[in-house]
Amino acid sequence: MLSVRSLVKSIDWIIVSAIVVLMVIGILFIYSSGVNSEGILINNEYVKQIIWAVSGLLLMLGLTAVEPKRLPDYTALLYGAMMVILVYTRLFGKVVNGARSWLGLFGDLGIQPSEFMKIAAILFLARYLDSTKHEPASFRRFTVSFGIMLLPMVLILSQPDFGTALVYFPLYLGVAFIGGITLRYLAFLLLTGSIAIVMTVMPLWQNLVATEPSIVLRIFYEEPYVFFVIALAGFAFALSVLGYRFFKKRYYYWLSFLALSIILGLSASIAGHMVLKDYQIMRLVVFLDPSVDPLGSGWNIVQSITAIGSGGFAGKGFLQGTQSHYRYLPQQSTDFIFSIISEELGFIGGIIIFTLFLVIALRLLLSLRTLNSAFQRNLIAGVVSMLLFHFMINAGMAMGIMPITGIPLLFLSYGGSSLWAICMGIGLCLGIGARRYDL
Amino acid sequence: MSDLSGRNEDFSPVKILVIAIVALMLFLWYGSFLLYLQIVKGGEYQVRAVTIASKIEKLPSQRGEIYDRNYNLPLVLNVDTFAVSLVPAELPADLRDTVFSKLAALTDIPVAEIHRKVPPAFYRLFQSIEIVSSVDQSVITAIAERIDEFPGVSWYARPMRNYLEGGSFSHLIGYVGEISRDELKLFYNRGYQSGDIIGKSGVERVYDSSLRGIDGRQFKTVDVKGRRIEGGVRDVVPPVMGKNVSLTIDRNTQLLAEKALGERIGSIVVLKPSTGEILAMVSYPSYNSNSIIAKGGNNEYARLLNDPRNPLINRAIQSSYPPASTFKVIMTAGIIEENAFPLDATVLCTGEINYGDRVFRCWIRKPGHGKLDLAGALAQSCDVYFWEVGRDKLGIERIVDYSKQFGFGELSGVDLLGEVAGFVPTPQWKERRFHEKWLGGDTLNLSIGQGYMLTTPLQVANMVALVVNEGVIYRPHILKDIRDPVSGTILTKTTPELLSASRISKDTFKLTKEYMRGVMTTGTARYPVNTKVVQVAGKTGTAEVGLDDRWHSWFVGYGPYDAASADDMIVVVAMIEASNPWEWWAPYATNIVFQGYFAGQSYEEAAGTLGLLNRPRAAVGRVE
Repeated sequence: MLSVRSLVKSIDWIIVSAIVVLMVIGILFIYSSGVNSEGILINNEYVKQIIWAVSGLLLMLGLTAVEPKRLPDYTALLYGAMMVILVYTRLFGKVVNGARSWLGLFGDLGIQPSEFMKIAAILFLARYLDSTKHEPASFRRFTVSFGIMLLPMVLILSQPDFGTALVYFPLYLGVAFIGGITLRYLAFLLLTGSIAIVMTVMPLWQNLVATEPSIVLRIFYEEPYVFFVIALAGFAFALSVLGYRFFKKRYYYWLSFLALSIILGLSASIAGHMVLKDYQIMRLVVFLDPSVDPLGSGWNIVQSITAIGSGGFAGKGFLQGTQSHYRYLPQQSTDFIFSIISEELGFIGGIIIFTLFLVIALRLLLSLRTLNSAFQRNLIAGVVSMLLFHFMINAGMAMGIMPITGIPLLFLSYGGSSLWAICMGIGLCLGIGARRYDL
Repeated sequence: MSDLSGRNEDFSPVKILVIAIVALMLFLWYGSFLLYLQIVKGGEYQVRAVTIASKIEKLPSQRGEIYDRNYNLPLVLNVDTFAVSLVPAELPADLRDTVFSKLAALTDIPVAEIHRKVPPAFYRLFQSIEIVSSVDQSVITAIAERIDEFPGVSWYARPMRNYLEGGSFSHLIGYVGEISRDELKLFYNRGYQSGDIIGKSGVERVYDSSLRGIDGRQFKTVDVKGRRIEGGVRDVVPPVMGKNVSLTIDRNTQLLAEKALGERIGSIVVLKPSTGEILAMVSYPSYNSNSIIAKGGNNEYARLLNDPRNPLINRAIQSSYPPASTFKVIMTAGIIEENAFPLDATVLCTGEINYGDRVFRCWIRKPGHGKLDLAGALAQSCDVYFWEVGRDKLGIERIVDYSKQFGFGELSGVDLLGEVAGFVPTPQWKERRFHEKWLGGDTLNLSIGQGYMLTTPLQVANMVALVVNEGVIYRPHILKDIRDPVSGTILTKTTPELLSASRISKDTFKLTKEYMRGVMTTGTARYPVNTKVVQVAGKTGTAEVGLDDRWHSWFVGYGPYDAASADDMIVVVAMIEASNPWEWWAPYATNIVFQGYFAGQSYEEAAGTLGLLNRPRAAVGRVE
């Protein structure tokens, strides 16, 4: 056990400082997004965010006191409890933006359990991969571990909250990569996932974005041809499985690998077409050509890019942004917080934010080196994946190079649940880091 | 957890390096893209941000029209009106109050309403907000003449609904309105946007996704002040018209039923049993959809909500009542099928029976019906027969089972919102609910359709449909088909869908039909249902509601009794609530509907033929 004094000494204060700076910038620009063109403050989101940030910070520092060696014992319980809450939310939660994703506590206050589930799922997955590390290449280990992430993912998808569900995929990849799942399986997952997503958006992409729609590609999503393709792949799969069984040639293995990936990917895309509405798929492709939906999401993208671009090198100055204060930049305090920061602080501000995120991610990664416990390594890998993926999607969306999925920029975006969740995750990681020489 | 022995046995630090490199590459990519956006193309975006904006105007689509089953005359039309909208950010702060009050005066709405639609939070918005949705051409002309006094104000044509048939059609067709905040939250993922017109009730609501079209849009290039720049890009995406909808309702039958019901609180349903098509569904009192969607419609809506007669309720599916003696149809089928009591065996009705510490009185009072077999008991609607046979021979479990086979206690699945399921009581339910045992007296009440049992008029129609179809009920529906708005070709068509099938034999149904015919030839409905154009079979019903001189009046019948197949038959159910003065109207109303339907007559002709036109409200005694 570490004494409080030595714990305080060994916490990575650089990470904490970077987070505090990000939180302060976030609060300043949530304040800015609440100011209208006449300089009048029209909402008090920033006050609420100060409360969230301070409590989040305390939560983070408080969690560093958790003894990491004890942590694995509670992960199953935590995961189970969060699953129950998630199911309850799915059935009785509040509908916000078309998704039944909120659990109202009292009055206006509520939480989004899907955010906290990320941490619970990382913890449980980290624990599972640790306890099965003696059979690294087993297929069972791969399926069970993926199931741990798939379960909450499917529930959240059914809310339906596509963006939040999507985050669980890279979380899995990150933890599984460090946790020692055979790379072959991860490659299979990545390939299948890519086929599923690409083929889900393909029909809309062909109709709306592509200048010369390809006829050949249509066999991969139009009924009944897609069924023929799946049947053909199924045939190829059966043949190559037989081939591998009798001749033991490597290429049969890879052939069946590819065929199965195509079958599962295409089936998932058919399911995607049934579950997702055109408008939802539209939000995923619209960044490729914002002009296809100029009244809705496309408009948002154009406004966001214009705001960022017009910020220039040094920005227009705090509270001086025209796009944000005059033009209707949507969801300025949540989804598009990066746009208003870049407009008012310019390239310098943008790079500062990038650097702060990079510093947090790299320092967390570096702390991995000296850890002996697989559980602790897996946990940190999960938190880093979460941080990086949120950053990639949100900042990319603001710059018009990533699809619109509505996931927040951690530490900066307005909102309590995501902030608290990442603070909890980082707090646990800091606690682990502080005890790395403490055997 | 720490293992001192095999340190990092399966973990290679190269993996850390891989993730670190991925992270670094991501930051390099994003950093250089930011550099490109803000430094390389920054100047271009700065110009775009302050000088020119691309403006989009909405071209509203036309909502589909609604027709009856014959698809000749529309029941709903669209008329052109205009919507006035405002881009708040284009309105200078010092002019705001003057413009608001001028707009209010011109469009005849309170200033507070404009302030409500454009709260201070929206003052920086560059998206247009609709201020009023239905104004005449003259108002638009007045604004256009002095457009420089109205910065930020614009307008567009917005087709409005005109409901050609008011009265009983309103419950079926419903009405439209602007999408509410709650609806927007729910339907956000289905492509609805704020300001959209959405069906609020009836067919307008249920088939909203077919009726609504897709709004088109027009792009204009404008400078910061919103003035159009000549030579700028002007692209037009035309709107897509909504699809037309054809109902199973027959306009003439609906009007006939509406007038046959007259100004009596209650409902009439005309059903085609062989397909489940609803030919008419009338509920009184009703409302006028046009007055709800007109300006100030909220007041009208509030008035309707507060009306103690509940005109917004469609009594045919949203109200449930004790089925009373119409339930004896189910009892009869049950007694025949189960051989519970020999068909020719008789029960002596002395007008009352004693059970427990209560006296149960047959509706005819002393000296009673005398000796009756099943056919006679159904025809005369003798309570004593069904009490004794129900309690001693058929038994409560089988009565409940048969009620469920006839569709009672279950939603019929009709394609209208707010249907209620009615209720079939069971001994288990009573124990759970009241902690009391089910008593013989409860069985007596249930045997004549009184007590806790509740059914909707549509369920009673389905009950007879099961008899007519000899064992199946088709899901009742109101949508016939959906058609292309231009060519009128059928896009999708409702096909008959099996709702439920019973285990009862065809012979039982044949005998039940024969006995139901007896109600007309020798029984209680002999005089009120006397139309000559068609042979009717059916059952009367009079439900106790605790009043001394008034009762719910039921009649359910089908015809022609002698038709070779069910395809030619219709089922008519009339339900007149006890709140009306007692005139035993349900059988008479049904009589008029049968006469009019099969003779091809209007209400006036049919009622005239039957001698029911301008009939004084006769003070008849109670008949079941």
